[in-house]
Amino acid sequence: MRSVSKRLLISVTLLLLLFFGVMVWVLEERFRRLAEDSLRGLLEAQINTLIASAEPDSSGQIVPRLGPESESRLSTLGSGLYAAVSRGAADPYWRSPSAAGSVQRLGPSQKSGKRDFFYLSDARGARLAALSLDYAWEGEGDLTFSVATDMAPYDSQMARFRHGLLRDFAIVALLLLLALAALLRWVLAPLRRLEAQIHSVERGDREQLDDRWPSELAGVVTNLNTLLSAEHTRIARYRDTLGNLAHTLKTPLAVLRSSFSPGAPGASLVNAQVDRMTAIVEHQLRRAATSGGASVGRHAVELLPVAQELRSALLKVHSKKDFSLELAIGAELLFVGDRDDLTEALGNLMDNAAKWCRSRIRVSAVLESAAGAARKLSILVEDDGPGVAAPDRERVLERGARADEHTPGHGLGLAMVLDMAEMYGGRLEIGDSDLGGARVELRLPGRMR
Amino acid sequence: MRVLVVEDETAIREALHRDLTAAGFSVDVAVDGEEGLYAGLEYPVDVAVVDLGLPKLPGLDLIRRLRAQDKRFPILVLTARDRWQDKVEGLDAGADDYVAKPFQFEEVLARLQALLRRSGGWASSSLTCGPVVLDTRTQTVTVEGNPVELTTFEYRILEHLMLKAGDVISKTDLTEQLYEQDFERDSNVIEVFIGRLRRKLDPDDRIKPIETLRGRGYRFALARNPG
Repeated sequence: MRSVSKRLLISVTLLLLLFFGVMVWVLEERFRRLAEDSLRGLLEAQINTLIASAEPDSSGQIVPRLGPESESRLSTLGSGLYAAVSRGAADPYWRSPSAAGSVQRLGPSQKSGKRDFFYLSDARGARLAALSLDYAWEGEGDLTFSVATDMAPYDSQMARFRHGLLRDFAIVALLLLLALAALLRWVLAPLRRLEAQIHSVERGDREQLDDRWPSELAGVVTNLNTLLSAEHTRIARYRDTLGNLAHTLKTPLAVLRSSFSPGAPGASLVNAQVDRMTAIVEHQLRRAATSGGASVGRHAVELLPVAQELRSALLKVHSKKDFSLELAIGAELLFVGDRDDLTEALGNLMDNAAKWCRSRIRVSAVLESAAGAARKLSILVEDDGPGVAAPDRERVLERGARADEHTPGHGLGLAMVLDMAEMYGGRLEIGDSDLGGARVELRLPGRMR
Repeated sequence: MRVLVVEDETAIREALHRDLTAAGFSVDVAVDGEEGLYAGLEYPVDVAVVDLGLPKLPGLDLIRRLRAQDKRFPILVLTARDRWQDKVEGLDAGADDYVAKPFQFEEVLARLQALLRRSGGWASSSLTCGPVVLDTRTQTVTVEGNPVELTTFEYRILEHLMLKAGDVISKTDLTEQLYEQDFERDSNVIEVFIGRLRRKLDPDDRIKPIETLRGRGYRFALARNPG
């Protein structure tokens, strides 16, 4: 179970069910006892009336006299209220007319005692509540008076009570759960906002999380922001160090080279060695400076401005050559990654094209239609130069091509770009362009603005 | 030709001084950015060689401040940091070309000569002549707001013509904007470029931006807008 709110809802639901179950049971028990007490009171009153009205009949038996109005229920057959009088444990010698036929055994219970409350069933199986009372009648000895009443009205009242109770509790539980769900939404809103912001940091829409959070989250967010900015400065510092390293390594080489005047004896040998060392230094430093896709919180970079900057730089640098450099790149295309990496890769590709084209270069880009993080930006750099022959294409891209094994034309630069593309999970492919020369396709993570 | 060399590394500075003097330049040297700024602002410099890793005032800032003071002489950058990001920043700050360290002197010399030949000069903003707008930073040209795709040479001829709009420019002058060596000169080439420029800028033959003055050269016929 991954979601905190789901966990909370399920556990609270279970707790509520348990609580309401116990409550229903306790309340029902209470109510039953209450109903039983009132039943007993009623039977007690009946029995007292019965005893009060009893007197010897013509044969000398002690029998209750049933007044027509007050005791009509005892006189009506099957009315639900029954009475009997017996002597000791024997069968009753008197039954109320209501008990005729239907109630056979309305006597004292098996237990002996002065006052006894018990349940029994009549001939039709209906439940009855009965009370019997031993009474020492002057001259007659112990007589047992019994009264029983049909439980059906009480049972149905009980059922109504239970039904109402369950319905009311169900409604209350439902309302509570709804309130809880709403409350959870509200309480967890900052967590959802945090999730959304982290997602947009991943997408490169923002560099930092904002700073208005509940106190419980503030610490975590501060730590995350520290981590993000540490990552940014780490890459920046790393690059800076590499830049300084390049400077400190190359300056002595420059000194070495410039200590020979052009054409001085030994100059060509020194130059060749210096070239070699320079190429090695450059190769290793460039590799190291590629940040790759590993960094968190990378910013999405607009492709078009990078291409435009490179275009004007290349036009200046290759001013000896007459060519046009056309950019067909939508302003909405973004590269998800480091700007410096993109500039380096695209700069190498465009510089190669400028070196080898006859008169035209075209740089275009499209976003492939796949969704999510796998979405790739396809950048095409095409020229009308000699191109790269099919058998040479793999060799040109060969990884770890030694710095001094310069393939003429598209050389070291391409292996670098390939390294960079692979660090981002992208690709680099060489083909033929309809302009007549090489068509280099660089695929990198991208998205729309 | 007077060249300013701003380089903090003594051996390199002295070697450049020695070799540039041998190549016929009159050489001023500066050992840090502040000295370089002073020399660039005060001396009649024709071209500058600037190292980017300078003490006191970084090379990029030096170039920006020279350009901000309207100094338009070409600047060649020397740099050991040759990631494209660094190159782009240097050229965007106002440099005209760069040479990566460790350089060969011949390379520096060739680039300096090329920069001096296209003397059109660095312009900080866009040039506007009627409907034709040339943005010198992005090297893009629009006519009535529509982009026109020019080759580097077409662009450079147009920039030269527009910088001197109204003046007559000789073929020789235009040829010097494009080629470094004399033997490459061929007067027909300029006619070809002018013809291409006319077709690209004015396909309907309405605005007639470039006039031909027989025997004298060419003239950009639309006046420069002020500013």
